[in-house]
Amino acid sequence: MKKMQALLLGLLVLSLALAGCGAPAAANTELILLEWSGYELPEFWEPFAAQHPEIAPQYSFFAEDTEAFSKAQSGFEFDLVHPCSSYWRSYVDAGLVQPLDLSRLTYWNDVYPNLADEGEFDGQQYFVPWEWGYESILVRTDLVEEVPDSWADLWDPQYAGHVSVFDSGESNFVMAASVLGIDPYNATPEQVEQIKQKLLELKPNLLTYWTDYTEINQLVAQGDVWLAGQAWNDAYAALYDEGYEVEYLDPAEGRLGWVCGFGISANSANVDLAYDYLNAVMAPESMANMGNAYYYGVANAAAQPLLDEYFVELMDMDDPAVLADTVFYQSLTEEQRELFARIWTEVKAGE
Amino acid sequence: MNSRSTARRLGILLSPPAAILFGLFFVPLAIMATYAWREGTFGAASRQFTWSNFEQLAASPGFLKLLGSSAGLALQTSLLAIVLAYPVAYLLAFSAGRYRLGLLTLLILPAWTSYLLRILAWKLILGSNGVLNYALLELGWIQEGVPIFLYSRTAVLITLVYVWTPFAALPIFSALERIQQPLLDAASDLGAKPWESFLRITLPLSFPGVLAAFFFVFIPTIGEWVTPALVGGVDGIMYGNLIQDQFVRALNWPMGSLLSMVLLAVTLVAVLIFNRFVNITEVGAYG
Repeated sequence: MKKMQALLLGLLVLSLALAGCGAPAAANTELILLEWSGYELPEFWEPFAAQHPEIAPQYSFFAEDTEAFSKAQSGFEFDLVHPCSSYWRSYVDAGLVQPLDLSRLTYWNDVYPNLADEGEFDGQQYFVPWEWGYESILVRTDLVEEVPDSWADLWDPQYAGHVSVFDSGESNFVMAASVLGIDPYNATPEQVEQIKQKLLELKPNLLTYWTDYTEINQLVAQGDVWLAGQAWNDAYAALYDEGYEVEYLDPAEGRLGWVCGFGISANSANVDLAYDYLNAVMAPESMANMGNAYYYGVANAAAQPLLDEYFVELMDMDDPAVLADTVFYQSLTEEQRELFARIWTEVKAGE
Repeated sequence: MNSRSTARRLGILLSPPAAILFGLFFVPLAIMATYAWREGTFGAASRQFTWSNFEQLAASPGFLKLLGSSAGLALQTSLLAIVLAYPVAYLLAFSAGRYRLGLLTLLILPAWTSYLLRILAWKLILGSNGVLNYALLELGWIQEGVPIFLYSRTAVLITLVYVWTPFAALPIFSALERIQQPLLDAASDLGAKPWESFLRITLPLSFPGVLAAFFFVFIPTIGEWVTPALVGGVDGIMYGNLIQDQFVRALNWPMGSLLSMVLLAVTLVAVLIFNRFVNITEVGAYG
C-alpha cells in the first residue's frame, strides 16, 4: 500500500511540474487564439501587427466547433476563440467567455444588427460576429435534367444516388424541418419524429455524406454528386472558377446561413491585446480581405464597398432579399444540440 | 542465482512497462468507462450519475443492429483475407527459397505508406473516373462512368481485405515455417498423396497461425471507422463511425463511452469463445 502511495505522490508531483510549464506568462505579453485554420493570414489583422510588432499571435487550430469547445472545456488557456453562432450559448453557459465592453470596439456601430443580436445573451454582448455565409444546394446543371428549386427537391427520385448532404445533425435537422414547415428550435416530440422519418426517406437518394470542403468539391467536380446539399459559398466559387457548369440555388424555403465570430476568454490575462486584435480584424480593410479571399460575407457594413464586384455579384451579396430570406442558425442549448445529434445518429445508423 | 533474485530482477525489468501500461492505458480507459454513467460531457452534468445512456441505447435498436452488421463485415473481411493470405504464406514458407526475404518485403511494402493514402488510392480505383470504370468502359461493358463499388459496403469490404491480407499472411507464414520437413517426408514415404499430407499435416499444424491471423484482422476491423468514412457512403457505415460521431461531432462522450464499452465487451466475448477451441497462448506464440 505504501508503494502505491509513493507512486501516486510521484505522479502528482510530475503532473504539477508539467502543469507549471504551461502557466500563463505575465499579462499582455502574448495572445493565444483558438482559431479555424485559414484565418491566421496576416492581411486579416494587419493593424494589430502595426500596433504590436513585437507580438506574434499564437494560433491553436481546430477543424470543428466541437473540437474547439471540448478543448476550451478541458482547460486549454486561450485569449480569443472563434466559434460559430450555434455554439455561442454553450460558451456563455459554461462561463468560458466574458461580456464585451462595446465602447472598446472601434467598429461596433457598423456591425449588421441582425448578426450582432446572435451574440447577445441576457442583455450582454459576448461575441462579435465576423464572417457569415450560406448553406445552399450546389447543382451541376450539365448533369441534371431539371434544375431543382427547393430543398424538398433533394428527395426527388430523379436525382437518386447523386445527392450528398453535409454530415451534421444540426444542419440536416434544420433543413428537414424547413422542408416540413416546422420550427426546428421548438419542435414537439411528434414533429421530431416527423423530421427523423423525413431524413430516413432521404437516404435512398444519397450517395454519401460529405464532411469537408475538399471532399464535396471533388465529388461535384467528378460528377458523382449532382446536388450538393448545404454547400458553402467557397465551394460554389471554386467550382465556378474552374469552369464547371454549376449553379448555387436560392431555394424556396430560403438559404441556410451561418455566422461565426470572436469571444474573449473569461480567464484571459491579455484582455487589452485581445481588444486590439478584435479591432484589427473588424477593420473594414481586414474584413474585406477575408471576404475577397474566401467569398464569405462580412459582418462590418463598412467593409461591403471594399468587396470585389465579381464576388458581390456571384454571391448576391448586394441583394437584400436573399439575406432577408436566409434562415440563420440559432445558438443552441445543450438539450437542442443533444436532440439534433441523437436524431442524426439514429438516421445514420438506419433505424 | 536463486529464484527469488530472478523474480526481483524480473520485477525491476517489468515495472516500467507495467507502470506505463497501467498509467497510460488502463487508467484512462477506466476513466473513459465511467463516462457511460454520466449525465453529460462537461461541467455539472458530467458529475451526475445516471442510467439514462443505457436506457437510450436499449431504445435505439439501430445501434446494436449496426454492431451486428459490423461484426458480419469484420468476419467476412477476416475470412477473405485468410483465404487470400494462405497461398501467399504457403509459397513463402515452402517454395520461395532464396527469394523469400525479397518476397516478404514486397508483401509488407504497402504498409510502409500511410494507411490513409492506401485507402485514398482505392477511391481512385473505384471512383466514377477511376481505373475500374475506365477499364469497363473500354471493354464496352458499361455505357457511362458510375461509382459502382465506391460508397458502398462492398467498397469497405474490398478495401479492408486489401489492407489486412498482408497482416494475415505473416502469422500463417510463421506457423507454416515451423512445420518440420521430416513430417512431410514421412507422410509421402508412407504413401500419402500431396493433398492428403496437406490436409492432415500442414493444415492442422498451421491452424494456430490461421487463428492468430483471424484475430489480427477481426479485432481492428470490427471497430473500424476510417475506411467506411472514406469509401463507405450511406450504406457502408460501421459501428465505429457511430462512436466517432459521439465524440467528435455530437460531443456526447457518455454515449460514445457506452458504445465503446459494448464493443470491447463483444470483442472480449468473441475472443473467449474462440479461446475455448484453441489455446490462446499457443496462438500468441505463433503470432
